[in-house]
Amino acid sequence: IMEHLGHEYCLKSHGKCIEGIIGGVDYSQNKVNQWTASIVEHTLTQLVKQGKPFKYIVNCAVMQKSGAGLHTANSCYWDTTTDGSCTVRWENRTMYCVVSVFAVAIAL
Amino acid sequence: MDDDQSAEETAFVVDEVSSIVKESLEAVIGRNPYEHKRVNQWVSSVVEQSLGQLSKLSKPFKYIVTCIIMQKNGAGLQSASSCFWDNTTDGSCSVRWENKHLYCIVSVFGLAI
Repeated sequence: IMEHLGHEYCLKSHGKCIEGIIGGVDYSQNKVNQWTASIVEHTLTQLVKQGKPFKYIVNCAVMQKSGAGLHTANSCYWDTTTDGSCTVRWENRTMYCVVSVFAVAIAL
Repeated sequence: MDDDQSAEETAFVVDEVSSIVKESLEAVIGRNPYEHKRVNQWVSSVVEQSLGQLSKLSKPFKYIVTCIIMQKNGAGLQSASSCFWDNTTDGSCSVRWENKHLYCIVSVFGLAI
């Protein structure tokens, strides 16, 4: 059931999505708003297209590389047999990007 | 009257969730400066504590809590979320918190069972 959130799928497909939106660009305060919105929208659309019985939450954080430390954590209270998550970390020369996808099964 | 009460018991109440998160942040991080060695512990404690308090509410929800802590040193940080769920029953709440040395963003998503 959770195969479509399997490790490889995650890295390939979400990685491609991020790459497509912020691949070769430098961190820009003016544009970062647009980027995070696009990344979550695209990722969500791709997931929904799979037509599986899940609710999804996609979270994306983009941080400028300037030496600051950044830590993130997630914790979930759900049904561990049917629900799952996947996090992809990506970076280029000027910024870090962390995208997390959470899939919660819908009872049919 | 009864209807209102039972609706309240099964709804995602943003203020309630928000205060649970703020309490966890104050308790775990408080006025501490950003410390590389401890921050790992802090993010875990904040999410665990928040989740613990949320589950005590005994509402029919599954919860996802995410926490980001960033040192204040001039870097820009932008975070966004998008959700595919049931608008009538599910909800989310994002709390931005800071002290003199760090920023913290905690997001809680509640999905009705």
